Amino acid sequence: MKRFLVLAFIFSILFTTSCDALTGLTGSSLKIGLVTDVGGLNDKSFNALANTGRLDAAKDFGVQTSVIESKKQEDYVPNLTTFAQQNYDLVIGVGFLMTNSVWKVAKQFPNIKFAIIDGAPADDAGKTENLTNVANLFFKEQEAGYLVGVIAATMAKDKVGKATHNTVCSMGGIPIPPVDHYIAGYQDAIKTISPTTTILNGYSNDFVDQAKGKEIGLNHISKNCDILFQVAGGSGLGYIAAAKEKGVYAIGVDADQIDAAPGTIITSALKRVNKAVYNTVKAVKDKAYKAGDNFFSVANDGIGYGKTDAIVPANAKAAADQALADIKSGKITPKDTVQVKG
Amino acid sequence: MPVISVLVALFVGAIFVLISGHNPIRAYAALILGAFGSPYDISETLVIAVPLTLAGLSVAVAFRTGLFNIGAQGQLLVGALGAGWTGSQFPDLPGILLLPMTLISGVLAGAAYGAIAGWLKAARGVNEVITTIMQNYIVVFVMHWLLQDGPMSAPNASGTPASSPIGAGAILPIIIPNELVPLSRLHAGIVLAVLAVVLFWFLLWRTSLGYELRAVGLGALAAAQAGIDPKRRMVLVMAIAGGFAGLAGMIQVSGLFHRVFDGFSSGFGFDAIAVALLGKNSPIGITLAAILFAAFARGGTLMQANAGISSHLVEVIEALVLFVIAAETIVRAIAGRRGPAQALA
Repeated sequence: MKRFLVLAFIFSILFTTSCDALTGLTGSSLKIGLVTDVGGLNDKSFNALANTGRLDAAKDFGVQTSVIESKKQEDYVPNLTTFAQQNYDLVIGVGFLMTNSVWKVAKQFPNIKFAIIDGAPADDAGKTENLTNVANLFFKEQEAGYLVGVIAATMAKDKVGKATHNTVCSMGGIPIPPVDHYIAGYQDAIKTISPTTTILNGYSNDFVDQAKGKEIGLNHISKNCDILFQVAGGSGLGYIAAAKEKGVYAIGVDADQIDAAPGTIITSALKRVNKAVYNTVKAVKDKAYKAGDNFFSVANDGIGYGKTDAIVPANAKAAADQALADIKSGKITPKDTVQVKG
Repeated sequence: MPVISVLVALFVGAIFVLISGHNPIRAYAALILGAFGSPYDISETLVIAVPLTLAGLSVAVAFRTGLFNIGAQGQLLVGALGAGWTGSQFPDLPGILLLPMTLISGVLAGAAYGAIAGWLKAARGVNEVITTIMQNYIVVFVMHWLLQDGPMSAPNASGTPASSPIGAGAILPIIIPNELVPLSRLHAGIVLAVLAVVLFWFLLWRTSLGYELRAVGLGALAAAQAGIDPKRRMVLVMAIAGGFAGLAGMIQVSGLFHRVFDGFSSGFGFDAIAVALLGKNSPIGITLAAILFAAFARGGTLMQANAGISSHLVEVIEALVLFVIAAETIVRAIAGRRGPAQALA
């Protein structure tokens, strides 16, 4: 009997507060929902950045925001649906892995606005289909690649610090467009600024496995690479680890990774996913939301380069800043196709 | 006892919520609402409960025979591959043929995979815990190869390797009309799951084979004295266990995703171990435990969305449930009483 009373008590508390929670969720301000991919909020890369953008938007615009972390790939559809069903004003999916899920859910909820980072809605066969309620948030990664390429090229040309072999390298995860854009811009800058510099490139064919990235890194270093640019997510951390072990330089990607290996990482190619999220929320708020392709680039501060290590000389930084201005003014248009594949 | 385990876990979980600076009552309210707050939420909870129940039966039937089947996950994936292959290979067959074929492929594939571990145990004395764990890994990588470059790979949009879609005839229909619960994904697989629960009960308690299986579980030596060959029963029961898990995989393919993809339904086979333990290996217990864990999974998502509390909390609670059950088992074992410790040995 006593046990029953305790149970009844607990359930009555839960029930009454359930009703509170229910009413607590309705408000008049805009509601923004973010769904991460399986990388989760602590990926130190684009999921984390997207979440930063969400929090900044919540602070600046007084909008209500929520986030759901996807634990498996098959959670994408129910998680996106969860927000859409609660009549959120904007539902954001992070990453090209969600192109098909966003397509499915957005078709079911034509009155809800969606956004997808790094992709466009795609049907079950993989064909892109632009929808009137989905904003595709793309980045000109080649511009970020170009900026860090300018720094790498200048250091290789001037033989700064340990960069004595006039050879720079890069490693992608899988050769998909967002990865190859980075590498293309990087190589373009090096060929433009320091044509005599040897360029090597490789792919780990993985975004997770650090061992594969490290293997390629050690291989590149054995071929005299002084500066290693990673575009391979978790696998790229192995590439950086190789640089650290052998005492050469590395360049981070997406987020500012300089704190991951101080003294090894000289700068990072930034893709400000937070900016894209922030701007899209702002657009919804200002009734300026635009479905279809939206590009984030140097021009709208969606692309940049990160903090630099003390070893980076002033002339390299000045050259990168000049390139930034030139891309902005249209004087330079970095290439987006990879020239040196292997 | 299981109810107390859950309550203790919820209580300790509440302390974690408090430490993280949130209100536990609000957290649990959001959790419950997320799982059962609307007809759609209930249907989503049931969608998750279906594979959990079946995988739970898989673990439990082996438990009852004194075997520890850690391989439900692998068997589920093999079942999904079998069903996905048949379903996509004959896309033009009518449903009356294709659906049963898909179902049988899934169940048989899972059963065959489970039987391997049973045979290794019976013929070579290899511990089934080790072999089933290794089998889980083998499927994951074989599946990756099959879908990435192997014979089952097909173009798709999800950015992950996947098979081509199954034929319309292989699809388990949605059983809740759209007018009643818009967008519900609850499919006829729930009917199969209920039938499987009844089958589990009938097999174990209403057939002589079930009696023999349970006899082996209670004491293999005694059973052998009574003329039951424990080795043959081991192979058979692992095949049955694999069949239940394979059915779970088939249902995920035919009912939900209509294709197989890399990283498919990860984790159900492992949660199933907790489900079977919590459900005390009984049909009703497993069903209730599966619904509870499904509610945790579904509610956890909504708790994160609506109350801002990390959905990883539900993983903490699930782990605590297991911990409390394990602690109870240990206490009983120390006290020298007969209990679940026997089944675990």
